[in-house]
Amino acid sequence: MQIQLSAVVPVPLREKVLQQQSDIWNRDITFLPGQFIKIKAPSGTGKTTLVHYLYHIRHDYTGTVSVDGKPWPAYSRDDLAVIRQSRISVVFQDLRIFEQLTATENIELKRVMGPQAFYPPEKIREMAERLGVSHVLQQSGATLSYGERQRIAIIRALMQPFEWLMMDEPFSHLDDANADKAAQLIAEECHSRKAGFILTDLDHDQRFDYHQTYYL
Amino acid sequence: MPFYQILKKIIRTGVGKGRFWMAAIGLGIAMLLILVALQVHRNFNELLYSKKNENERADFLVINKRVTNAMMGNPALTTFTPQEIKDLSSQAFVDGFHEITAAEFNVKLVADQLGFTTEMFFEAVPDSFIDVKSADWKWQAGQQEVPVIVPSNFLNMFNFGFALGNNIPQFSEETVKSLSPGVVISQGLRTASFRGRIVGFSDRISTVLVPMSFMEWANSVYGTGVTKAPSRVIVKTKDPSDPVLAAYLQDHGYATDEEKTRYSKVRVIVQTIVSIVGFFGIVLLMFALLVFSMFIQLVIASCKKEIRLLITLGTAPRQLQRYLLKQFVPLYVVIGLLALAVVAGLQWWASGLLAKHKMYVSALPGLTALIATAVVLLLVYIVNLRAVRKHIADV
Repeated sequence: MQIQLSAVVPVPLREKVLQQQSDIWNRDITFLPGQFIKIKAPSGTGKTTLVHYLYHIRHDYTGTVSVDGKPWPAYSRDDLAVIRQSRISVVFQDLRIFEQLTATENIELKRVMGPQAFYPPEKIREMAERLGVSHVLQQSGATLSYGERQRIAIIRALMQPFEWLMMDEPFSHLDDANADKAAQLIAEECHSRKAGFILTDLDHDQRFDYHQTYYL
Repeated sequence: MPFYQILKKIIRTGVGKGRFWMAAIGLGIAMLLILVALQVHRNFNELLYSKKNENERADFLVINKRVTNAMMGNPALTTFTPQEIKDLSSQAFVDGFHEITAAEFNVKLVADQLGFTTEMFFEAVPDSFIDVKSADWKWQAGQQEVPVIVPSNFLNMFNFGFALGNNIPQFSEETVKSLSPGVVISQGLRTASFRGRIVGFSDRISTVLVPMSFMEWANSVYGTGVTKAPSRVIVKTKDPSDPVLAAYLQDHGYATDEEKTRYSKVRVIVQTIVSIVGFFGIVLLMFALLVFSMFIQLVIASCKKEIRLLITLGTAPRQLQRYLLKQFVPLYVVIGLLALAVVAGLQWWASGLLAKHKMYVSALPGLTALIATAVVLLLVYIVNLRAVRKHIADV
């Protein structure tokens, strides 16, 4: 799955974006399948906005974001659901955990949402153990700390098949040790699927072998 | 854990449960009213038209013009004109039609055994209109014995009115049938004598009948030569209580046995009541549908944030629709089946009750009720589906 950005400019950041140099905004860029892509930017330059554009949950931009040669608005709601169930997965910066569900249920939701489960249920525990959150699996989402939520959100994103994984500051609430563990898991999962990812972050890091790094 | 079970924890349908149950009860009552209305309508038709309940007497009507004061002294006004005959015989409620042929000669009945003589009259209708079946009901030229059918009322009037009051013995039907009074027909000076023989008593036609063959022969030989215009006609009808028939007679100033058409008033009343019940059923159904739609809107609005996140994570709107409908539709089906079961019970009870009065209706609700249940459920389903679809799309 190829993702193309063509002269994308966020409407709310228009003035600011046009004054500054950017590798992404107002340019034509193609993200090739299987690439590990890092997007580095200071706060307030629109990282989250970009991820939302790429995941097609915000639409306040000029220019086009195309997926497989087709602009996002040309996809129907049902097409979109299929893509989000099987081709693009996401870790939001604000994590978006259901507070009324337990941690397991939050992950399970994504495992069983599609017509066929990608992983067996045991995989949840296995990944939770690797990331050190197996002890909170039965806790309700409301009682989890940010660090725990972040790791649950990562596991949730990895429960489904995907060709692209979008991650918006996925390690912001983790210490280095835990971030490394998570990065390793993500890299393995991406490799096994031959999938690429787009990761946004504030700083430089060496956790992945990035194919491309862009400055927003 | 199946997806729908997780959804159950996210989308709480418990909000406004009271309203939902009220709408569900409303739906049940609405369905009951609609089904009862349809069923009563069907039973009524069955009572009217089915072979089992066929009421021989009610199928034939003798119609004549109402004699008013203005008509008195002018018999021509009470006869039917050819146009009137044509119009009446072409009405939809007329299955069979014939003029009652009147004698154009004088008739005298001489009962020597009883010692009385009386002026009489004869009329004739085709055999197919007569309710008395008798092997003796035939006449050929040269036959001395003339079979006669008299109204049952005649014998009753004689036995209970005349005989009792005048100390004359009463007669059984058999005895009367065995009598053979003399029948003298005449026109001016020409006369002919026959032996009369009462072969039966008619409940249907209140006149003295002779076979058509005798009437035709006698009219040709002893008639005045001028054919009398018909003043009475007999009509065979499937449904003497047809309000159209009653209205037709009323409009044209015709009269018939009121007893036979009285049913039409009952029928209009029943139809009106049934229509009103059905109407209220439909109104109630509309309200129930409205409340269901509002309930669905409320459920979706109260979980707006959750539904939005579910869609963001990749849940198809169709999955949400299916989940929400699954929460409500089984209840509708249960309500529908319950209403149908209650109506079936009522029908069974009513058929038992009516059978005691020799009225037969089916013990099971008809196909109409089944179809109506299916149609109402389908309607409820479609309205729900549309509401779910619309409000999910709005999220």
